[in-house]
Amino acid sequence: MGTVLLDERVADTAPGGRPIADLAPHSGVVMKVPPKFVQSPRIQILAQRSRELAISGKRRLGTEDMPLGDHACWIHIGPFPQLDELPSRANGYEATGESWGRDYAFLVDHFPVDIHRDERIVGEIHWEMHMVRQYVWPDSVREVGKWAAELGASGYSSGHTCPDLAIGLSQGWGGILERIKESREKYVRLDNQPKASYLYGLQMICESVIGFIQRHAEKALELAQAETDPWQKQTYQRIAECCAHIAVNAPRTYYEGVQWIHFAVIMDRVVGHGNGYGRLDLYLIDLYRKSRAAGELSDEEAREYLSEMFLKLRGQFFSLGGRDAELKDATNEMSFVVLEAYDLIGDYNNLGVMWHPGINRDFYNYACDVLARHGESIPVLVNYDLMREAELRSGVPEEDAWKVVYSGCQWFCIPGKEFCDQDVNSINLISPMKRTIAAAIDRGITDFESFYALFDEELTLTARALREWKNSQYELLGSLWPEMYTSMNSHGPIERGIDMVDNRGVDYQYTSVNILGIPNVADAFHAIRKLVFEEQRYTLAEVKEATETNWAGREPMRQRFLNQGKFGNDLDEVDAVFVRITESLARILGSMVNLRGQEFRASLFHFQGHVTPDAIGATPDGRLAHEYLAHGINPQVGRATEGLLATANSIAKVDQRKFQGGTMQIELQPRFFDGKEEIWKYVRDFTEVFFKKGGIQVNLNIMDLKKLQDAMDHPENPDYQNIIVRVTGYASRFICLPRSYQKEFVERMNYEGF
Amino acid sequence: MYEALSCQVIEISRGTMHDGPGLRTTVFLKGCPLRCLWCQNPEGMSAAQGVWWEERKCIRCLACVEACPSGALWDNETGIHRDRGKCTLCGACVEACPSQAMTFTGQEWSLDDLVRAVLKDRDYYEAFGGGVTVSGGEPLSQHRFVGQFFRRLREAGVHTALDTCGSAPAAALDAVLPYTDHVLFDIKILDPALHQQFTGQSNGVILQNLMAVAETMRQNHWGRTLSEGHALRLWIRTPLIPDATATVDNIAAIARFIHQNLRDVVERWELCAFNSACKRKYDKLGLTWTYEDYPLMDQHSIDALERVALAAGIPREKLVVSGLVAKASA
Ligand code: SF4
Ligand code: SF4
Repeated sequence: MGTVLLDERVADTAPGGRPIADLAPHSGVVMKVPPKFVQSPRIQILAQRSRELAISGKRRLGTEDMPLGDHACWIHIGPFPQLDELPSRANGYEATGESWGRDYAFLVDHFPVDIHRDERIVGEIHWEMHMVRQYVWPDSVREVGKWAAELGASGYSSGHTCPDLAIGLSQGWGGILERIKESREKYVRLDNQPKASYLYGLQMICESVIGFIQRHAEKALELAQAETDPWQKQTYQRIAECCAHIAVNAPRTYYEGVQWIHFAVIMDRVVGHGNGYGRLDLYLIDLYRKSRAAGELSDEEAREYLSEMFLKLRGQFFSLGGRDAELKDATNEMSFVVLEAYDLIGDYNNLGVMWHPGINRDFYNYACDVLARHGESIPVLVNYDLMREAELRSGVPEEDAWKVVYSGCQWFCIPGKEFCDQDVNSINLISPMKRTIAAAIDRGITDFESFYALFDEELTLTARALREWKNSQYELLGSLWPEMYTSMNSHGPIERGIDMVDNRGVDYQYTSVNILGIPNVADAFHAIRKLVFEEQRYTLAEVKEATETNWAGREPMRQRFLNQGKFGNDLDEVDAVFVRITESLARILGSMVNLRGQEFRASLFHFQGHVTPDAIGATPDGRLAHEYLAHGINPQVGRATEGLLATANSIAKVDQRKFQGGTMQIELQPRFFDGKEEIWKYVRDFTEVFFKKGGIQVNLNIMDLKKLQDAMDHPENPDYQNIIVRVTGYASRFICLPRSYQKEFVERMNYEGF
Repeated sequence: MYEALSCQVIEISRGTMHDGPGLRTTVFLKGCPLRCLWCQNPEGMSAAQGVWWEERKCIRCLACVEACPSGALWDNETGIHRDRGKCTLCGACVEACPSQAMTFTGQEWSLDDLVRAVLKDRDYYEAFGGGVTVSGGEPLSQHRFVGQFFRRLREAGVHTALDTCGSAPAAALDAVLPYTDHVLFDIKILDPALHQQFTGQSNGVILQNLMAVAETMRQNHWGRTLSEGHALRLWIRTPLIPDATATVDNIAAIARFIHQNLRDVVERWELCAFNSACKRKYDKLGLTWTYEDYPLMDQHSIDALERVALAAGIPREKLVVSGLVAKASA
């Protein structure tokens, strides 16, 4: 037992047995965390360029007024110059896949080709489809939307799925193009005009992608010819060779594989929606082993290619670990390399490590070490077995369920086989709760069971509204905004001639819906049960009036409601209400089917609804109108008083197999670990117990909130330029967030200790 | 058969990392024979129930004042005040308060409930090599309860730690030690007169009890051996209180004492740096506190004390400094 130093200490030893040849000394590279790997001068230059783009607002996501962070892949260089010549603008808009594909191809054909010095992985994009092509729903659909919104249901479909890049990695764009042409010929022959037309759209997209990559080969060759520096000249030549090959063919080496994936992802980002991209370690392992065996790839190169890709992709979702088809641990050498690539550069990323009890110990240790050292909630830790069981429970067969991958904020899907509208639909539980209170007053309800039965009815009404609303979109979605690019790396769309968002384009088309305000409603119901039905201190009419007037003149009453037991403190009585609400959600949504005949699934998460509480008003949990709602499945800020373990226990009481994710979001202060060594062990031991108890995801930020508070007022301070936080489901650079998000974040301070 | 026991609890703290090995739940019990001037849990001194008031939570609705049948409460601009002489501890004010600003200082817990409560984090104890610590107050002042509590935890396979100031009859220790895996024993001041001055009692009994713990460990007379996993372990803790315990003389004396008498049984000696975070508790109780304006100790003084301890023969690997320390000034 050594004397514990009192300054902030971070373990710098490599956990696990993996030999790491190039352990860095403490001095040297300037980084926030003690580095494990030394950045080469080349990576330092590229990282600096990437950071400058983010800080200068050229990576901004969202609008100037409402920036949502800097996790955008595209780089702003001004509006698309040929906008007026876009086919749908110049020659008339048509809601068809062919018209969509023609626009996509036109856009990509006019992309400039960016190849920068020092880069080995190339390719950038500057515009997305939603900036140029109209995406407008007819009034008839929007009317349904208004009606549904009044009942608490909302969400316009937009992507949020995950391709299976293994398809393109094995077939190459040329192989995919052949399949598209073949399928198109078949449907022409059979006189199925809509399918043939859709496939023509796909063909144009595929050809534009091939052309874009080929133009990189040409440009690189030009640059090589003009270059005098031998290293740079050779690098341009390698780029030219690589791009010339992978434009059409499947990659042959690890380097080509990473470059192929890079193009595949940025061309997907051209669509502009939030997709995940699958299991990076499984995608690359064969090429990695091949290149290693051929002696053409060093450890450092393997890492750096991916680091470069991450610096450009800006936090796209990839996963690691999990199980294979035989349900054995799927961790491989690449799983380490991917994490090392992040470890090398820090900054941000959205990697998910899919834990299961049999996961490679060294790998999970390393994942926790990376997370603890960087403190930026990277990687996200998720429970693979629960995700797989959730898919099985929805009806996905065994042979596909193992492929499940953590794909975005809190959600998961079967790559290339599932379009479930993840993360875009929403049920705001406050709405049915308010209607329940009003109805209970009308009917003179005097006991909690009858009250809850009314809530079930109201919730059913909201769920049905969601169904009508989504179905009205699903009738048109395939022609209005198909996910054509992603469909090329999916199983079904090409052969079926149906887009993945359209009926039966892919096999699994459940409808996922995020739920807002479960902790608030649970707290409110518990307080109502106690104070209205049991103690009869107040009437429901008083509760209604008090919340409608934001508790004006009723502070003692508000305190009474606020000081009842709250969700998140391991209080069985309150947690039971919480669990009961989740069970109602699972039952009600699970018993309804969408237009595709597949069920609805709740996700116990909401990525931003809690930040805009104004329209919702005060609630009977004692919340004032202006206060944020609880974040997803986490207790309302300030209400978890028993510590992290108590909250973890509360959350773990939910049967996560019935839902599509529900993140435990944890913000810890560095001083939490004062005097403790090997912080990663705390992360590991905590998450493993939590997962064994039934938790599905942990997002962990280890952040000095004082510093963040200061960063809100002094975003120009150089010390604050690179602070990365996991806001909700995604990571972002703190200073690039809107003030309301920043404020919500710094107020979290939920846990003072375990 | 278990007795239907209950105890007075000040607080149950989950996930503690500083009260013994691993991650633990610490149960703070009421009642302590000492009156240390720096006491960090003043609400735990008295074994009797009390009522306290927290300004931060109070909305000044005066429901408590109206509810008091004895006219013991009144308000003025500095807050709600209570006449201890008039108060019968009837709890009407606690019940009337909507915001939990007025509360009892202790809650009664039955043995069954407390066992159930602490077992909620059992999986975490296992993963982190932790368990349950009882602290206080002075847990030995409720030794019958603690003995049974530990016995139940032992049966459930949960590691138990006793955090004691050592001031208790020998019989109290005997009731608890058989079910204890780990003792955190405070030596605050070695000089008996100074001990009397700062804590209200001399330390004769305390040191006798400490020797008794050591003797138990040596004789291992409950037949527990290391291989059975129940060997008793001992950590000594010394709070570093400026001008009281944190003097070179005192630390040197304790170090010599440990080195001469206990070096075969003491696994760790922890110097716990003082902080004034508990001032809030004194405010809640309406008490003033000698130490409320004391700053955090600086690294220099801590280093000096560490050197004294090492010089007296304490091996470096047994010495641990914990708590907050002021950042070194230039
Ligand atoms: S406990 Fe009873 S007597 Fe004492 S102050 Fe409160 S109401 Fe009055
Ligand atoms: S009843 Fe509670 S909130 Fe009201 S004045 Fe008394 S202590 Fe304060």
